Parts: sequence; C-alpha cells; structure tokens
Amino acid sequence: MNDRRRQFEAQALPHLDAAYNLARWLSRSPADAEDIVQDAMLRAFRAFDGFRGGDAKAWVLAIVRNCCRSRFAAARRHPHTMLDEGLAEDSETPEDKAIAASGRRRLKAMIAQLPEEYREALILREMEDMSYAEIAAVTGVPIGTVMSRLARARATFRQLAREER
Amino acid sequence: MNCEHSEQTSAYLDGELTGEALRAAEAHLAQCPDCQALAEDAARLSDALRVLDRYPAPAALRGKIIAALEGERRRSSKPFWLGAASGAGAALLAASLAFLAILPPSAENLAQSLTASHAAALNGDLIQVASSDHHTVKPWLAAHAGLSPPAEDFAAQGFPLAGGRAEKFAGEEAAVAVYRRGNHIVDLYAWPDRGRTLPPPGLVHGFRVRFWKSGDMDFAAISDVDSASFDQFTALASRK
Repeated sequence: MNDRRRQFEAQALPHLDAAYNLARWLSRSPADAEDIVQDAMLRAFRAFDGFRGGDAKAWVLAIVRNCCRSRFAAARRHPHTMLDEGLAEDSETPEDKAIAASGRRRLKAMIAQLPEEYREALILREMEDMSYAEIAAVTGVPIGTVMSRLARARATFRQLAREER
Repeated sequence: MNCEHSEQTSAYLDGELTGEALRAAEAHLAQCPDCQALAEDAARLSDALRVLDRYPAPAALRGKIIAALEGERRRSSKPFWLGAASGAGAALLAASLAFLAILPPSAENLAQSLTASHAAALNGDLIQVASSDHHTVKPWLAAHAGLSPPAEDFAAQGFPLAGGRAEKFAGEEAAVAVYRRGNHIVDLYAWPDRGRTLPPPGLVHGFRVRFWKSGDMDFAAISDVDSASFDQFTALASRK
C-alpha cells in the first residue's frame, strides 16, 4: 500500500500546481479551489489502479475538471459574477507587483468573463501548453470542438478588449 | 468581422496543422488582413497569459493532500442499505425486486442486490455520462465513483460502450460501465475488493450475472442478453 501511495505521489503530485491553477480559474475562490484539488487528488488516488500509465497530467486535470463541473453544476447560471467575486479576493503574487498590477487585474478580469468552455481551453492551451489532443482528453470533447472553442475564445477576448478601450 | 477561416488560422498558430491544411492556412494568412490581425491579437494574448503565471498552490495544500492519502489506507465503508427502487414510474419488475435491495450484503445476497440495482437503473438513471470514449468515461467515473475501471469500448465485437454511472451498491460506491448489445443493456459493475467472497454465476429474475476479481477490484457483469453473448462479453471484459 505504501508503494502504491509513493507511486501515486510521484506521478500525480508533480501536477499539483497545474491542478490548483485550473481549479482556481474554474471556481469561485481560493478556498473552493483548494477543496476541489484535495477532493480530486483523493479520487485520483482511489482510481489509481485504473490508471495504466500514459499522460498523468491530463488524467489528473480531467478529474479536477470533473470535480469542478459537478460541484458548480447548480450555480452555472451566473458564471461571470462567480469569478469576478473570486478575483477580488485574490492575494497578489510578487509578479503582480513587479508588472503593472492594474494591467494584470484587467487581463484576469477579461479571462474571467469568458464562457467557461472557452476559458478552460485557453488556460490548458496557453498556461499548460497542452496540444489539442491533450485538451480533448482532459475536457472529454472531440479535437474539432477544442479547435472551435479556442478560436472563439480568442475572438471573444478580442471583442472584450475592444470594449475596454 | 471574423473571416470564415479564423478557426484554421487559430489552429495554425497553435502548430496543430500539417500537410495541405498547413499550406492552405499559411497561404490564406499571407493575404487576409482580418486573420493577420487575429494572429497578432492571439499572440499578444498568449504572451500575456504566459507572463501571468499560474495561481500557485498554497504551501499547505501538498501536506494536506499527503495526510489525506495516508488516511486512505483503510477506507471505512459505512454499511449502506439501498432504498426501495427509484421513484415514480419504476416498472413492476424493479418494484418487485426492491425488497432484495435492502438485504445486508453477503455472497448469497450479492447477486440479488446487483440485480435490484441494475433493474432500478434500467428504469431510472441508467447513464449519467454518455460517451463511447474511455477518455471521457474513465475520469468521470474516477471523479464520481472514486475508481476508474477499464471502460473499454467493445464496439468491434458488438458491445459498444454507451457510457457510465456511479451507483451505491451493497455498501460500496460502484463504477458502472454501460454497454449495448442490440436492444439489450449489459452493465459492468466495479467496486473495491474488500476480500468479500463472490457468488457463482447465475440467473436472477431473468438477468445473467457473473462475478470476478481483478487487480484490487471486484467486477460483475449483468444482462438479459442470451447466454452465448453474455459469455462473449464476460470473456472480453475479464481478459487481462
């Protein structure tokens, strides 16, 4: 059992930051994101025997994403307000201070306004460097859908950026 | 506002195109001001997001997770007595089997509990995640039932994977992979092996059942298909 836990820690825990980041972008607050990641990691551990090697990161992120979706299924109607509140609570990292803080806050706020499917595709692509095939594996949709969501995410973002000016 | 090629341009920027599609996207980009503007904005957005950095996981989170994993070594399973078969509209069969579902779990009763559970699902919530792709079904089962059985698609052998569901069964959270065979359903249940003795194969109220152990999971197949098809399925599902 100890060996199984060690193997799991070696395979899944390296992706803790990616897991937390995704949960943070898909949920209301840092506290929610923490709960989700803890829950997801526990579920991943229980399901570890079914994981026959392969892409551990995509597997962990897929479980995180599923946990986010089931948790917030009822609250889906107002995704924008959910995240806006969450971002206001966010404590600044050192980077926030180094670079124009207001610019970063504006960027985060605009990402937060994107519909959830567009936002998650953009995060996985640009922050996790995942290929369309990997994003498809995490989100459980065909590659064509990933392509379409990314294109629309970028188009929507352009629109939001234009409105900001 | 957006050129109709914007999807291809977007995929091109992500390095996802090859061959003829790649050449076509490049050629288009060279002469389309809309897509050039899109490319510039997308690149700026990409740079901005990379500089943004991830939200860092709180320092204490890793420790909390490891502590939780240690507590998982012996998962407590509270006895759970399945309630009567699902709500209004449950067919007569499910209703007549309902009493079986409230028996405490033992080898003799496992087959009956399984049948009651399967019958209730047939009349209620059969599929909670609909997909023939194990990349979709497995993580869903991991998140909702806490385990991730194979969930292979056997479409080539005539048993396409229709999806999955999480179910409480005999005091466990079970992951169920749902297959179709013509008009019939074949359910493949998986739950953690607790050293419980499994019953022999049998026929319960018209449903064929077979149990086996593999890895550290218990499995059961249940269906009303004919005997030859059922044997074919269990051979597929239980192969290593």
